[in-house]
Amino acid sequence: MRWMYKLPLRIRSLFRKKCVEEDLNEELRFHMEKLIEEKVASGMTPKEARYAALRDFGGVEQLKEECRDSWGVRMISELGQDLRYGLRQLRRNPGFTTVAVLTLALGIGANTAIFSLIDAVMLRSLPVNDPSHLVVLNWSARNQMRGPINSSSFGDCNESLTDANSSGCSFPYPFFQLLHAEKGLFSGIAAFAGPAQLVLGGNGPAKMASGEIVSGDYFSTLGVKAAVGRTLGPGDDDPSAAPAVVLSYAFWQSAFGGDRSAVGRTILLNSVPFTIAGVAEQSFTNLAPGKTQDFWLTIAIAPRLNINWVSRGQSFRDWWLVILGRLKPGVTLQKAQAATALTFRNEMLHGSEPVWKASDNPGIELVPAQQGLTGLRGFFSAPLYVLMFVVGLILLIACANVAGLLLSRAAGRQTEMAVRLAVGAGRRRIVRQLLTESVLLSLAGGALGVLFAYWGVRLIVSLVSASMLGSFPFVVVPDWRVLVFIVSICIFTGIVFGLAPAFRSARLILTPALKGSSGMFWLGGKRAGGLIHLGKSLVVVQVVLSVVVLIGAGLLVRTLRNLREVNPGFDTQNLLLFGIDPTLENYKPAQVQNFYRELQERLAAMPGVTSASYSFPALLSGGLVITGYHLDGQPDKKSVPADRLTIGTDFLSTMHIPLIGGRAFTDEDFQQAAEAASAEETAHKAAQSKTPGLGGAISPAVAPPVSALVNHAFALKYFPGQNPLGMRLLEPINPDMSGKTAPQIVPRRSWVIVGIVGDTKYSNLRRAIHPTVYVPITGGGARFELRTAGNPIALIPAVRHAVELINKNLPLFRVQTQSQVIDGLLVPERVIARVSSLFGLLALLLACIGLYGLLSYETARRRPEIGIRMALGAEKNEILRMVIGQGLKLALIGVGIGLAGSFALTRFLSSLLYGVKPTDLITFIAVSLILIAVALVACYVPARRAAKVDPMVALRYE
Amino acid sequence: MSKPSDLVQGTLDLLILKTIAAEAMHGWGIAQRIRQVSGEVLQVNQGALYPALHRLEQNGWIRAKWGESDNNRRARYYSLTAAGRKYLQSEEANWRRLSTAIGLVLEKV
Repeated sequence: MRWMYKLPLRIRSLFRKKCVEEDLNEELRFHMEKLIEEKVASGMTPKEARYAALRDFGGVEQLKEECRDSWGVRMISELGQDLRYGLRQLRRNPGFTTVAVLTLALGIGANTAIFSLIDAVMLRSLPVNDPSHLVVLNWSARNQMRGPINSSSFGDCNESLTDANSSGCSFPYPFFQLLHAEKGLFSGIAAFAGPAQLVLGGNGPAKMASGEIVSGDYFSTLGVKAAVGRTLGPGDDDPSAAPAVVLSYAFWQSAFGGDRSAVGRTILLNSVPFTIAGVAEQSFTNLAPGKTQDFWLTIAIAPRLNINWVSRGQSFRDWWLVILGRLKPGVTLQKAQAATALTFRNEMLHGSEPVWKASDNPGIELVPAQQGLTGLRGFFSAPLYVLMFVVGLILLIACANVAGLLLSRAAGRQTEMAVRLAVGAGRRRIVRQLLTESVLLSLAGGALGVLFAYWGVRLIVSLVSASMLGSFPFVVVPDWRVLVFIVSICIFTGIVFGLAPAFRSARLILTPALKGSSGMFWLGGKRAGGLIHLGKSLVVVQVVLSVVVLIGAGLLVRTLRNLREVNPGFDTQNLLLFGIDPTLENYKPAQVQNFYRELQERLAAMPGVTSASYSFPALLSGGLVITGYHLDGQPDKKSVPADRLTIGTDFLSTMHIPLIGGRAFTDEDFQQAAEAASAEETAHKAAQSKTPGLGGAISPAVAPPVSALVNHAFALKYFPGQNPLGMRLLEPINPDMSGKTAPQIVPRRSWVIVGIVGDTKYSNLRRAIHPTVYVPITGGGARFELRTAGNPIALIPAVRHAVELINKNLPLFRVQTQSQVIDGLLVPERVIARVSSLFGLLALLLACIGLYGLLSYETARRRPEIGIRMALGAEKNEILRMVIGQGLKLALIGVGIGLAGSFALTRFLSSLLYGVKPTDLITFIAVSLILIAVALVACYVPARRAAKVDPMVALRYE
Repeated sequence: MSKPSDLVQGTLDLLILKTIAAEAMHGWGIAQRIRQVSGEVLQVNQGALYPALHRLEQNGWIRAKWGESDNNRRARYYSLTAAGRKYLQSEEANWRRLSTAIGLVLEKV
């Protein structure tokens, strides 16, 4: 019950302080009057009585203070005082405040920005209902799949295809059906694959769009709802169903302007009409981080779109679907995993088409979807972690810097503190005052830091997306977790760097501090020595950290430069690329050939175009095809790996790839290749119409050879000391389950080497040049390459027009110059090099401010000493040398430790480096020299000030 | 005048509470009453009295109210709260137990 009395009192004393004070005054006045009355009654005159009463009463103010103490709101009202006083102090030293707040804001802002990025890329939770019960299936085995397997994957999870350890998350359709039939484990099970690149028509000009292919219960399993219309359901996943798509919210906004009447409209996908059934809810962007799609369509309908990796057949040899399950309540992950693994193992070992042997130990692991679906995480994780480490160092430097500043200032305020102690302030009170000031400072820094963080996030995202030719596929928003993170960093740093100077101030020795203000003698003791020592250590720490950051940045910048200067083996200037795929419009292989020929001729004849060609894939586009070849004269089963590039007419001359020996492809070569391809197709069809598996190993027939070119590396590696011209390459024989030669139903492909060409980089700039085989293109999609006389960008409208003249339903995709493509490849490198060098410069700047601050304070402190030295005959130069030497010593110690630290740390960067060792001598030396040079400048200013000391003034001052 | 330090803090609290148990009193009155009743032995200094009053008030044992004093002057009158009354009883009992015990020791040893 007591709180009923207490609470109103506290509130009153807190908010109606004046009232309470007046009450107290009046109460005491009444007491005083009574006392006077008593004295008068005992015979004193009123005047005497008043004096006597005042004497008796003693210190009124002290009494009041004691009463106030009992009000129990001392803490709070004093906090108000502290805050007011702190703010006044910060306002009075605008230079100090600006530097400290900016330093902190930069440190905190950089950390928040990078943490938000990491949050978006690495930690974001799946945008589905209750993601914790969602699992993704991963298979693993001790060997690669045996026999002919068509496996497709789309970067949803980590996979490994080494012999010893194979794993992945693509599964065949019939396996998904098996799990679907099992009712006990999952409350929902769904499959998806893709996205497939499709031609979107019926909504303005034809263009490419991406469609994820999903099972009927995909949306219900994920618990994703429709924003407009409906989602896809099991009824849509039926071959006889009317084709329907569900749009992603973003695509609905961008392609249909968010028009609600879009639902129910018909669009064409690869010329097949689809009805728009609905729009998925806005929060559901994608499953695997960084992967996006424009819409979803069902597995049953997908085969009509002529996508080569979609197989709804019963074959266990087509692996392409990612399977997700939602665990039933009460079913543990282990139980579901054991049951699923059993089904998998049975089918893989003893099913109709065994893929592994028992010794391969095929198994299934259920991984929580959050971790299992990695998507683009891997692409960004290494740079992000490096940046996280770097900004962590920046925050440390910032803290050390502000700590140093506070320390110097605390030393400068010792007189003030001594006065406050002398007039009765408690030591605890002084500590609290200083702590309040530094927390205030760090909160101000934090608030500004949030602002910097928003800018920083936007800056980095725009930096990335500008060079990606598309938007950054992650949504980065500093959310509440990030805010909590900042606030805790703020308060923690405030307390940490507020403590040291605060405790030191409270332990002042009063008398000397009051007597002198410059304090040569009173600061001479052990305590002051400790203060200076702490300041020096802080400066050394800053130098060390900035050396580490600068060396890291230096290595990354050199990597970027090395990659930019890589000679790719062909001319990357004035080259326009675009992709086109006539098979999407149901062109037959022969038609494709004619289409390419016609387009190539038209393009080459265009004004401004020097020459034109086409290939699949394009060089330096990220695409890569590796196949095995059996070399003429080698044992039957042996095959060697080589990169393969299929090329069209005039490829070498268009790309400026030199011919080293033999000849380039002629029209006859392309004709021959087309004939071989159609013969192979005929053989395939013939084989399929017969009953497969007719006894015994048929000795594999060999098709007539097609001309091929090899690069210099191929000639050197596989035909050392021989002339490779005229040598034959054969398609290797696939061993089947028993290890015997499989019955060859189609004659083996073969090639004959007719020319040797110069080495080029293939998929990207980092990958070393591998042996490469160039063969004539015979169909499928292609990338066109146009060598232009001037700026390639200017030709894009004309190129589009040229394609439209042949077929206006065929969209061009990835229309880019070769330089843009290369820039796109270097996105992570460029971002990390730029951001880390920015941070490196920041670190350098901060360290110099620290050094400058310490030396300024030191020289101010030693003014009398310097005065004496000069009076005793020291030259200005000696003083200059003395101060600079002192600063340089700190810088050198820092550089030394920093070099050692970098030596130990930079090897963690090695996966990101190219053409430069983690312990690159040039970088190490350059960074040391830069740091020492900048440190010299930072020392010079205070040194000059010291050298200008007038001995008379300095001495008289004491 | 006896020094305030002669009065243990708890004892002063007890004296105040007991003094105002019968009727509400102002600070001056409390000091006078204690002095008279104790036969001029216990003199409570205002330097100890007012902080003690404010502390007791903040603790919720007593409450204060402005009232008219003898010659129409405003004075702050203190009276016991219900909780204060209970507190006084237990403190009184404690004190009696303690003084009896001390008395016993002084007599018998």
